[in-house]
Amino acid sequence: MTRRLIIEPRGLATWWLKLLIPIASVIAALVLGAVFLSITGNDWLEVYKKMADAAFGSGRGFAETLVSATPLILTGVAAAIAFKMLVWNIGGEGQLIAGAVAAAGVGIWLADGTPAVIAITAVVAAGAVGGAFWAALSAVPRVYLGTNEIITTLMLNFIALHLMQYLVFGSSSPWRDPDATQFPQGRPIIDNGRIPEFFHRLDWGLFIAIAVAIAAWFVISKTRSGFEYRIVGDSFDAARYAGIKVPRKVLGTFLASGAAAGLAGSILVAGILGKMDPRSLDLGLGFTGIIVAALARLNPIAIIPVAILMGALNNAGPALQSIGVPSAVVMILQGAILIFAVGGEFLISNRIRRPERHVEETTAAAEVSPA
Amino acid sequence: MSDEFERQSAPAVELRNIDKSFYGVLANADVDFTLARGEVHALLGENGAGKSTLCSVIAGLYRPDSGEMLLDGAPLVCKSPKDAIAAGIGMVYQHFRLVSNLTVAENLALGNPEIGLRLSQRELEDQARELGERYDFPVEPSARIWQLSVGQQQRVEILKLLYRDARILILDEPTAVLTPQEGEALFRTMRILAEEGRSLIFVSHKLHEVKQVSDRVTVLREGKVVGHAETADAEPRDLARMMVGKDLVLPTRVPNESIGDPTLVVEDLVVEDDRGLDAVNGLSITVNAGEVVGIAGVSGNGQRELAQGIVGLMKVKSGTVHLAGDDVTRKNVLDKIRLGIAYVPQSRLGMGLSPGLTTEDNLALKQFREPPYSSGPLLSNKTFASRGAELIDEFDIRGVRPGLPIRLLSGGNLQKALIAREVIQDHTVLIARSPTRGLDVGATAAVRDQVLAERDRGVAVLLISEDLDELLALSDRLLVIYEGEIVGEMPAAEATAERLGLLMSGHREEQSA
Amino acid sequence: MNESVLMLTIVAAIGLGTPIVFATVGEILTERSGILNLGVQGMMMIGAVMGFWATFETGSLWLGVLAALIAGAALSLIHAFNSVTLRVSQIVSGLALTIFGTGVAIFIGRAGSEPLIGTPSREVFEPILPEALADLPLVGPLVFGHDALIYLSWIIVATSSYYLFRTRPGLTLRAVGEDPASAEAAGIHVSRVRYIHVMVGGALAGLGGAYFSLALVPSWQDHPIGPAGWIAIALVILASWRPWRALWVAYLFGAAGRVSFTFQTLEVNVPADLLAMLPYVLAIVAMLILASGKRARLLGAPAALGIPYFREER
Repeated sequence: MTRRLIIEPRGLATWWLKLLIPIASVIAALVLGAVFLSITGNDWLEVYKKMADAAFGSGRGFAETLVSATPLILTGVAAAIAFKMLVWNIGGEGQLIAGAVAAAGVGIWLADGTPAVIAITAVVAAGAVGGAFWAALSAVPRVYLGTNEIITTLMLNFIALHLMQYLVFGSSSPWRDPDATQFPQGRPIIDNGRIPEFFHRLDWGLFIAIAVAIAAWFVISKTRSGFEYRIVGDSFDAARYAGIKVPRKVLGTFLASGAAAGLAGSILVAGILGKMDPRSLDLGLGFTGIIVAALARLNPIAIIPVAILMGALNNAGPALQSIGVPSAVVMILQGAILIFAVGGEFLISNRIRRPERHVEETTAAAEVSPA
Repeated sequence: MSDEFERQSAPAVELRNIDKSFYGVLANADVDFTLARGEVHALLGENGAGKSTLCSVIAGLYRPDSGEMLLDGAPLVCKSPKDAIAAGIGMVYQHFRLVSNLTVAENLALGNPEIGLRLSQRELEDQARELGERYDFPVEPSARIWQLSVGQQQRVEILKLLYRDARILILDEPTAVLTPQEGEALFRTMRILAEEGRSLIFVSHKLHEVKQVSDRVTVLREGKVVGHAETADAEPRDLARMMVGKDLVLPTRVPNESIGDPTLVVEDLVVEDDRGLDAVNGLSITVNAGEVVGIAGVSGNGQRELAQGIVGLMKVKSGTVHLAGDDVTRKNVLDKIRLGIAYVPQSRLGMGLSPGLTTEDNLALKQFREPPYSSGPLLSNKTFASRGAELIDEFDIRGVRPGLPIRLLSGGNLQKALIAREVIQDHTVLIARSPTRGLDVGATAAVRDQVLAERDRGVAVLLISEDLDELLALSDRLLVIYEGEIVGEMPAAEATAERLGLLMSGHREEQSA
Repeated sequence: MNESVLMLTIVAAIGLGTPIVFATVGEILTERSGILNLGVQGMMMIGAVMGFWATFETGSLWLGVLAALIAGAALSLIHAFNSVTLRVSQIVSGLALTIFGTGVAIFIGRAGSEPLIGTPSREVFEPILPEALADLPLVGPLVFGHDALIYLSWIIVATSSYYLFRTRPGLTLRAVGEDPASAEAAGIHVSRVRYIHVMVGGALAGLGGAYFSLALVPSWQDHPIGPAGWIAIALVILASWRPWRALWVAYLFGAAGRVSFTFQTLEVNVPADLLAMLPYVLAIVAMLILASGKRARLLGAPAALGIPYFREER
C-alpha cells in the first residue's frame, strides 16, 4: 500500500533546532528579499551591503542600531509575556503611545529644579503606568466580560494615535510646545527628566530595557508567581484546578504587558526624543515588537539579540533611500521573517519521518477451542 | 461472469496486514480481519487494544502505515472518510461526530452529495422524519443536536449512516453511553439492520454484550489479532483469557469492616451548569471515613457539576458542603485543597494535569506554594527534580524524560501521575471521576488498588463513574444520580446491573415496584 | 439636520463603506471556515497596488479588478498554508501577512525609475447608470448613482448570504467552522474547504483595496486604504458573521468616517482628531455590549474559529 511520510507532534525539540529555525527564517527572508529586489531591477547585494554597513559598519551606526533596538526589546517583552499566556495583546502600539503621553505629561508638569534621580524615575514610571492603564481598557473587559482583546487592543491603537495627535496638532494642550511657531511640536520635558546619553545618542534606557527582559525571564522561570503564570499559560482549567485565581493572573499579565510597552514610550520620551513627538512615536514599534517576540520564540532573553537585529533593519531603512531603493524593503524583510518564523514553528513542534514496516513476528493467532 | 461471482462470494470487508502507529507507538500491528455480509461482527479487546484505531482505519479517518483493505474483494484505498462513505462504509464514533449547533436534518444532509446545491430545510426535515419512522427511531428533525439526550444523539448518528444507505456500519463502543435498557433497544436495531443484509462491526470490551448480539468475534490485544471465533461456539472464559492475555482474576474485594464517622457531608446541594440550569438539584450525600461511595449514572446527569461544586471549581447556588463538621461550602479551590479534599477529575490532560508542563512540574501542581518546593517567592528547582524523581519511582510512572511534556505519556501513566500527586498531599476526602476510564488492564488494576488503599487508610472516597463494572468493583455503597438528584441507594452487595440500569434511566423504584 | 447634508452623508457613507463591505464579507467567509485571518490590511494593500498598477499598465479597470482579486488571494494562500497545513498560530501568521503585504505594496508603489507614487489612476470607476435615473429625488443618489463596484458589492453580499444559509456548500462551510472533526467524519474535505474560503476572503479583501485606488482616492500614495483592513476585522464580529449585517455596519462606519466633514458643513466645531476616534470607540462600545463572552457564541461565532485542526489526534 501507499507509503507516505508521517508527520507527528514531537515532544522535545533539541536546542539547536530551536536556534536553527529562527536563523533559517532570517536567511530565507533575506533570500526572498533578494529575489524581490532583483525582479524590481535592484542589485540586491549592493542593497544588503548598504544595509549592513548602515547598521553595523561603524561605532555610530551600531549605536544607532542599539537606539532603535531599545524600544523593540520592551515591546518584544510586552508581546512575549502576553502571547505566552494566550493573551493576544496586539495593542503594543497604543500602549507605547499612552506611555509616552503619560511620561511627557509628568516630565512637563515637574518643576524645573526636580533632582534628576526623582525626575527620571517619575517620568519613566509614568510611562509604565500609562501603558498599563491603556492595556487595562482591554484587559478588564477581556477578563470580566470575555470581550475579544484582539479587536479592542487594535482599536485602542488608533484611539491612542489620534489622542496623541490631538494633544499636539489639534489643540493647545500642555503637551504642545507654545514656542513652536512654524509647525506644532511636543513641548520638551524638563532637562532633569532626560535619561543621560553615554555614547552618541545612546542612553541608559538601553540598560533599563535589558534589565526588564532579564527580570521577565527571572520571574517566569524562578519564582512561584512565574510557575503559576506558566500553568495558566498552558491550561486555564488545570490552573483553576490547582487553586490559581486565573482571572487575576491574566489581568496581571495583561497589565504587565501594557506596562512594558508603555516603558518603551517613556524611555523614548525621556531619552532620544525629549518630548512627545507624534511623528517619532508612530513607527509601528508595537507591531515590530510582535515580530521580535515571535522570532525569539517568546523567550525574554532571546528577545535582546532579536531586537538588536530588528533595530538594525529599522536603522538601515533610511540609508537605502540614498541609493534610490524604497525603505519599504525593511518592512518586506520583517514581514517575511515573521512569516517564515511562524511557519518554522511547525518544524519545532512536529517531526517528519518515513513509516517503518514492523517485521517483528506477531504472536500466532490462537483459535478458540470449540466448546 | 467469474468476476461477478467472486465479488458476491468475497467478504464485505477484508483487511490484510494493517499497521498503524502514533508517535512511534504501534496501535495496530499486522492486523488481518474479515467482515462477512449480513453479520454482526464483534471486535473485543481491552482499552488500548487498538479497536478504535482499526475502526478508524476502515472508516477512512486514519490511513494505515502499511497493509491493504479490500471491499467486496476489490482493493480500496480511502484517503479520507469521504472515500469510505462513498464506498458504503459508515461509522458511529465513540465521541459523536455531530455538529452540535446544527439541526438533526442539517447533520443528516452534511456532506451528502445526493442533495442538490440548494438546501430546502423542509425537504430535509421531511426526509429525516420519514427515515426515523422507518427504523422506529423517532427524532425531531428541526431540533439542534445540543438539545438532544445522548441516546437520541446516537440515534441521529445511526440515521446518518442509513440516510446514506451505508452497507457497512461500524459502532465504536455504542453501549458505553447508554443505560442497559437503551442498550437492549440498540441490539434489536442492530439485528434488524443485519437482517437487511448490512454488515455491522460492534466494538466492545464487555463479554456479555458480545455474546448477546454478535455472530462472530475477533479479539484484539496490544494492537494485534489474538483470536477469532463463531460467537455461539466461544466460551466466555476463553474470550476473556485471549483479551487480557492471562486467566482473568475476578476482582476479589475485601469489604471494609471499619467504617468511620461522616467526613464529607453534602446537603441539598444545587449547582448550575454552564447554561444556567440546575444540573445538581438539591442533592444530599454523606461519605464516611474509610468508605467508598459510588455514584452511578448516565453521563450528563450532573456528575461534573457535583464534583466541581464540592471542590470549589463551580459555584454552589444553594445547599452546604461540610468537611469533618466544618462548613466549607463557600471556600475557594485553594482553601479546599489545603483543607484536604483531593480530586481526580475525569479529564486528565487539561484539568488534572497541565499538558505542556513536565511530569515533575505536574507532580508539584498543588504543592508548589509550600516548602520545600518554594521558599518565599522563589522556587526550588532542585526540589522539583528530586521530589519528582522520587514519586516517579514510587508510583512507577513510565516514559518520563527530562523536559518532556506530560501529554506525551500514555493514559495509564498519566493517571498514575495524577493519582500520585493527589494522594501524597494531606487529605481526608478523595473525589474521583471514572478513574479507570480508558486504561488497560494493568493500569486499571493499579488504580483500583490505589483507591482501595485510600479507603483502608481511612479516607472518605466519593467515586463518580459511568462504568458499572468499576462501581461494583470498588464501592461499599452505591447511589444513583438522575437529572441532578439521587434516585436510589443500596449497599454494594445488593446492587445489580439491571437494578442500577433502571434507576439510571429514571425509573424510580417506588414507581416500578 | 439639513436634508441635503443627510443625503450627502449617506451617499458618502456608501462609498466609504464599500471597500469595507468587500473585505468584511471576505473575512466572514474565511472565519466561517474556522480560520482567523488578521492579514486583511496586507491583502487590501496588495490588492490596492496591483489593481492600480494593472489599470495603469493596461488602461482597463476590470483587468485592475482581476489583478487585485488574484493578488489578494495569492497573499492569503500563505496564510492558508501556515494555518491549515502547518497549523501554526493563525494570529501571528495573519499579522505577518499584514506587515509583508503593506511593505510589498509600498515598495511597488515606489520602485523603478518612474514610480507610481503620486500618479493619478488612468481610469476611475464612475457611476454607470444614466444620469436621468441618478437625478431622481431620493432614490436617485441612493440607488442609481453608483459605480459598478458598488452594485457588485450588493451582488456579493446577497450571493454570499444565500450561499451560507441556503446551499449545501454553505452548510458544509458552517459545519467546518463549527466542528471540523464531525465535518470530516461526514466526508468533508476540511482542509480544502478552509483553503478555498481563506482565498476567497483574500480575493475580496484585494478587491476592497482596489476600490480605494481605483474609485475612492484614485491616485497612488503610500497608505491609500487607511486602517480599513483592521476595521473590517472588527466589523465581522459586529456583523455577527452575516453578510447582510456586514453591509449595514460597513455603511455605518463609512458614515462615522465621514462625520468630521459633515460637522464642518453643519458648522459644528469638533476637533478632527477627536472625531477620527469615533469609529474605533464605536467598535469597542459595540463589542462590549453585543459580543462579550458567551454572547459572541450566540451571535454566531464559529465554535472552531482560530483553533488548528489535527486530524489524527489522539
